[in-house]
Amino acid sequence: MVGPTATLTPLSRADGSASYRCPSTGSNILGSVNAPVELPARRDALRPEDATVEVFVKPGTAPGGVGERYIENVIKNMLAKLILGREKGYARRGVVITLATIGGESVGRGDSYLTLLPALIHTALLALLSAAVPLSMTFSATVLAVNASGEITREPSEKEAAAATSLHALAFSSKGHLLLNESQGAFDFDTWEKVHARALAICHGTLTRTSDGDVAMAEDVDGQPLEGTVRETVEDKLHQDYAWKTDAP
Amino acid sequence: MSSPLILLPGDEVPSEYLPSTNSAPLRLGAGLRLLTQPSSNPSKPPSHVIAATQPGILSTDNRKNAASILSTPNRRYIPTPNDLVIAQIHHSSPDYFHCMVTPQAPHALLGQLSFEGATKKTRPMLKQGDLVYARVLSMGLGAGAEVELTCVNPATGRAEPGGLGPLTGGMVFDVSIGMAARLMRASSSSPEQQEAVAGLVVLEELGKKLEKTGGFEIAIGRNGKVWVDCANGGETAVKSTVAIGRCLSTIDEHDLNPTDQRKLVTRILREMKIES
Repeated sequence: MVGPTATLTPLSRADGSASYRCPSTGSNILGSVNAPVELPARRDALRPEDATVEVFVKPGTAPGGVGERYIENVIKNMLAKLILGREKGYARRGVVITLATIGGESVGRGDSYLTLLPALIHTALLALLSAAVPLSMTFSATVLAVNASGEITREPSEKEAAAATSLHALAFSSKGHLLLNESQGAFDFDTWEKVHARALAICHGTLTRTSDGDVAMAEDVDGQPLEGTVRETVEDKLHQDYAWKTDAP
Repeated sequence: MSSPLILLPGDEVPSEYLPSTNSAPLRLGAGLRLLTQPSSNPSKPPSHVIAATQPGILSTDNRKNAASILSTPNRRYIPTPNDLVIAQIHHSSPDYFHCMVTPQAPHALLGQLSFEGATKKTRPMLKQGDLVYARVLSMGLGAGAEVELTCVNPATGRAEPGGLGPLTGGMVFDVSIGMAARLMRASSSSPEQQEAVAGLVVLEELGKKLEKTGGFEIAIGRNGKVWVDCANGGETAVKSTVAIGRCLSTIDEHDLNPTDQRKLVTRILREMKIES
């Protein structure tokens, strides 16, 4: 299984940016973060001690619609919990996250964004890290499709997602908390439990220490845990940026 | 520094990486915070951990007993007291000049009288677009707080450290925050140490090469601005200024090492036809 690839700070004018490509779902997202910025109008009056998080999702070709507004809200609610909006210089300022689909199959009007959701929130996380916005922790996310015979497919392609009976997007924090749980379609609790265990193995790998062999095998099939991919991307970029300091004789 | 410790938000700093505790308390800089974990046993005191809030390399200073995170160099500048910044006047009001420190951030305030030797009768008349080299005096507290700048040390009434005040002539170039911090460290150390301290030889090299054409003046703002002026340059003044700016921004963009920095300076000066 080919893992996702990501680049940090591809845009020079934004405070932070990231591009993210997931080969299995075919998504390619470019994200930028500007923070802290002054908000237009006094939108900050409700919580004067905290930062306001704004998320914009731009589809590849069509103008944004209801689907984008909905997924923006899902992403915003999740990220607002992680961003430390009370740090110095952030209170009453905005954290503006823009995510644009620049490749892969674009989501049609009114279609579900669940297959794209992990790619979108990974891009947002990497862009936030690139902008050095204070965060309480990092996270990793995945989407799983369950078909009629109960098979679980990791990061399904457009076709597999259309054939699935249920889709589940889950995100886990770096400390193992479940941060996001969005599902669609018909499923029962047992299916969800299985999906949860598999997603945890994909995101964290070693953390699942269950007695049955299935999960351990799944971990091998999935290759490197996503948590590690995020970490490696950031470490590589920092090594590159601080080469003058670390490579000095 | 053999292997730097890279932390992501939420990672705890291992205690062996922190400066060895002596009597002075540990000072936490940018990107670190102290978290308290209440212990399950109420009789035991809660344990404390130091966790990162920004991704970056842990940097510790044993002499000052301080620890902080060196984060990505492209981020937005957040004013901190005592930082030297290059601000641009946006407009002026009876008591204050309203200055831009970073775009899309609220204006910072600079008192009309916070210049060396300024009185109500004799004070600098700055117009929109003029530049000042100023020190961040305070961040302000509470709702609607504004950043205040000053060009004078309020205790002594003198422009300390030297060079604070309006910047006339010259040109401003944008660099990343990380590059500005490196340039500051390099320019505050002796020319021989610049390479070791910040991996920069560009200032020393440019200084040597442009000595014949009258040298140059440089002011570095922590907000990612560099002001360059070659007032004594005669007819090559404009060319030298642009060449210095090009050197700095190229090094910033491509993360050049000292050897490449020397090559770049030679190449740009030759391209711009500046004799050295």
